[in-house]
Amino acid sequence: MTDEATPWSLHPECPDVARLGPDPTIGLLRARGARAMADRDQRTDAWRGGFTRRRFLAGAGAVGVAALGSQLVTARASFGAQAAGGTLVVVFLRGGMDGLSAVVPADDPHLAAARPDIGIPAGTLLQLDRGFGLHPALAPLHDLYARGLFTAVPAVSTPDISRSHFQAQDCLERGGSSAGTAEGWLDRVLDVTGPGTTFRSLTVGTTVTRSLAGDQSAMSLRKVDAFELHAGDADMHARTTQALAALYTGVDHPITLDVAATLDGLGTAAMMSAAGYEPASPYPEGEFGERMKEVARLIKADVGLRVACVDVGGWDTHTDHGNVDDGAVTRQLTDLGATLGAFATDLSDRLGQVNVVVMTEFGRRVEQNASRGTDHGHGAAVLLLGGGLAGGRVHGTWNGLAPEGLDQGDVPGWNDYRDVLSEVLTARLGVGAGDLPTVFPGHQARPIGIMA
Amino acid sequence: MTEQHPDNESGARPWRRRSVLAGLAGTGVGAAALVATRGLSGSDGARSVLPEARSAAARPSDAGGFANRDESYANSSGAEQISAVQEAPPTLLYPTAAEAAAGTAVTVPTILDTSDPVVHLLRRATFGPTPALVDEVHAVGIDAWLATQLQPLTIADPEGDLVWGAFPLASADPAEVQASVGRYRWDAMLDFSAATMARQMWSNRQLYEVMVDFWANHLNAPTPGPGSWDVGGSYQRGVIRTHALGTFTDMLLAAGRHPAMLRYLTATQSTKDSVNENLGRELLELHTVGVSSGYTETDVRNSAYILTGRTVVGQDGPGPESTFRYDPDKHWVGPVTVLDFRHDNATADGGLEVGDAYLRHLAAHPSTAATIARKLAVRFVSDIPPATLVDRLAAAYLDNGTAILPVLDTLFRSAEFWAAVGQKTRRPLENITASVRALGCVPTGDIPHSVGVLHNAAFNAGQRPLGWPAPNGYPDVHAAWRSAGNMVETWNTHRMLVFDWEDGLTRPDPVGLLAGLPSATVGEYVDSLCRRLCFQAFQPAHRDALVAFLGGDPAAPLAPHLAGEDAGQAIALVLDSPYFSLR
Repeated sequence: MTDEATPWSLHPECPDVARLGPDPTIGLLRARGARAMADRDQRTDAWRGGFTRRRFLAGAGAVGVAALGSQLVTARASFGAQAAGGTLVVVFLRGGMDGLSAVVPADDPHLAAARPDIGIPAGTLLQLDRGFGLHPALAPLHDLYARGLFTAVPAVSTPDISRSHFQAQDCLERGGSSAGTAEGWLDRVLDVTGPGTTFRSLTVGTTVTRSLAGDQSAMSLRKVDAFELHAGDADMHARTTQALAALYTGVDHPITLDVAATLDGLGTAAMMSAAGYEPASPYPEGEFGERMKEVARLIKADVGLRVACVDVGGWDTHTDHGNVDDGAVTRQLTDLGATLGAFATDLSDRLGQVNVVVMTEFGRRVEQNASRGTDHGHGAAVLLLGGGLAGGRVHGTWNGLAPEGLDQGDVPGWNDYRDVLSEVLTARLGVGAGDLPTVFPGHQARPIGIMA
Repeated sequence: MTEQHPDNESGARPWRRRSVLAGLAGTGVGAAALVATRGLSGSDGARSVLPEARSAAARPSDAGGFANRDESYANSSGAEQISAVQEAPPTLLYPTAAEAAAGTAVTVPTILDTSDPVVHLLRRATFGPTPALVDEVHAVGIDAWLATQLQPLTIADPEGDLVWGAFPLASADPAEVQASVGRYRWDAMLDFSAATMARQMWSNRQLYEVMVDFWANHLNAPTPGPGSWDVGGSYQRGVIRTHALGTFTDMLLAAGRHPAMLRYLTATQSTKDSVNENLGRELLELHTVGVSSGYTETDVRNSAYILTGRTVVGQDGPGPESTFRYDPDKHWVGPVTVLDFRHDNATADGGLEVGDAYLRHLAAHPSTAATIARKLAVRFVSDIPPATLVDRLAAAYLDNGTAILPVLDTLFRSAEFWAAVGQKTRRPLENITASVRALGCVPTGDIPHSVGVLHNAAFNAGQRPLGWPAPNGYPDVHAAWRSAGNMVETWNTHRMLVFDWEDGLTRPDPVGLLAGLPSATVGEYVDSLCRRLCFQAFQPAHRDALVAFLGGDPAAPLAPHLAGEDAGQAIALVLDSPYFSLR
């Protein structure tokens, strides 16, 4: 929204507000969102060392976030047909998940030949489609598959991805291409999907995930209940946050945005903490379970969560894959399946408004190494959960594991990450075809048919 | 069986026959690639989306993008491109640090006071300035203080020794740990991490502790972490702490034989018949030359082969468990090439020496010099450091046989260092340790308990010492740490330190803290707090915010605010402020 469209009055009866939406309430929401965005942009411009052509918002910048209230209100600026409230959850498995152990091409004789010690016995697999079977540790996902709430795409990568953990993760998180992309791809998604609440994006953890790094303000926290300022009683709390807002006003440094987001989020978090949270079913012990529980909690709290990111480590299984009863891969997949299953159960019918995309920087080599593990590969398996999926099928191109078709012994990238993600973005977050090249520059998205 | 190697250029076993698409054109020559200079680089350089598969880049540098994680984060937004040197000063390298400090004009915009280079130095060379330390450096002079700090064993350290000694497991060798804690339990590793934080807060050898932290993250073997339950302390002491001010060559050689590193990067299971690339790759990518050196996947493989034979004694021997052992039977024999390192590697018995020669070569490689120089500049100067400084530090590293002291000496004699006031932010661990130091909090009795409380706060904020789980160590740039959750954690820690909700630390008394600075009125109190904790006055609007918190009238007496929490909350607010968050 330009300055000229931004109403200076937030009075519901002001005609400027009324013209922003089909009814005054919508108009008011959009006006607030626009003011918040403009204020953020003004702060951004200020510490970039210059003032832009945007008109200085008299009063709003100087007083700080307190003037905008403790919660920015969602304003679906893209005005898409998609119902407000869709959430994309990106689970990044760090280290390179072995797709061939998760979504197993069961009837491929080359796999059995290449993995005499670490193959998953065909009799244990949970049948999918096109000859693929799911590792039994992912049984909760198989239940979802039967209900059309789970699918998978094998052999996914992008051309610029190498076999270095860092480089592959970084490339993928910047949008899968090395050219012209410095921000994270989800940062660009936030840009094109427009203004929203403080909690419109979230990394559940203690650092900001690379895919959300950029100019858009992105929230990061470990746990809602820990996100509470211990500043005494309500009066002291109010005085403290007011002082903090003032202390970080007029400071030429991006840390001011961090503080603004923090203060904005505290009020919302306080309401959530007061309400408490009991998941509909227990999550597995451990960090991943705890984090997905936070995501579910935030979705159900209707705070405008649009994008959530969770990292899971431990997937770099150079050794000790184990067999289907034990070993590193089984342990990792057990935690993954149980946690995602608990998440789906916890959301219950809200799962229809959510998509979880489980991705990893690369898959692993077809052939086992002699440590009964696998080294870094290329094409990876992507798992998808949630609503709107074209269910009952494994999607994408798959050409089998005959050695002459492999990429230096690895599963090739027969499917492009950007195609997978574009389809989900369109269906779940209403990202229009015209905005996709902003999110994935230099790429022409082709639907694979993942979404119904 | 012939030793023809499947990954040598000349031959290939049938089952590794390269696919048609694998003949990569790859235009990369290994230059550090900023995204603007790179296009899509698939196997045929074509830009269009093709239905057939795209093969993986043969060398990580061909894939373009950023050279490492921190560089990528630092460039992730326009906001983050904080750079110290706005205009090139006339002189960049001075004969002494004191002259550099005096001669460098600080022109970068910052709210931090730029008039006293001593405060800037202490913000970077310690875990937090204290009034006593500022006075000391003023008294003895910058050069003398640095000279002493760079000879840490000449510094008496009773407090540091005391808090360290409160964690006996931190000094235990592997056999002692094995005898003391349950197998695979984390007690010794957690104690070591906590003891390390204790030294960061209370040791007099501050610059040494900063360098220890730097190197521990560079050659990261997480403590606590996998593979280190009994040997983690030994690694941190024998590899990192011993060599932190020595040479990188010695440190790398020591790491290359240490059970903690070998287990962590699964080198123990890498043999001539079943090599795994974990250590071989991370050695090149993270520890030494880096992606921009242009090493290929073949180099990675050969790197792994060179290091085969290095293993760790298991529970059943031969020899004491968890000690290093070289097993010639596991060593791959035959000519090896990695970048510009070549060796005949003709015998199994000579394999350990080949590995050491390889490590020495990498340690002294110009790309390693550039990598380490850049990381040091990021740690000490700014998130996107000036190239002039990085080049100068790399040259000092190479000219002095990878010795670290000459590099630090060059750093402190460089104008770029002194020009970078306020260009770094305090990460959570740095914020907590600096808060403890600024307030002068010390344990009153149960040291492990007090340190444990602070250690826990650091963990909740995501930065327990030595604890980053991946080999690349904690990120060192602001863009990676922009977490609201961490911010609240540090704010809460400030209040905890002031109000001592947890037992065991001395509590700062609002007036006593000021040690004679005026505090009769609200205004005086605010100004004195800012001077005492942040070594400067705040800008008027920020000063007004604190006065407003205390009732709004700077001339009003302070006394009423001492009765309740106000005066203490004001202390916390000063620590919350950007004048403390930035460094």
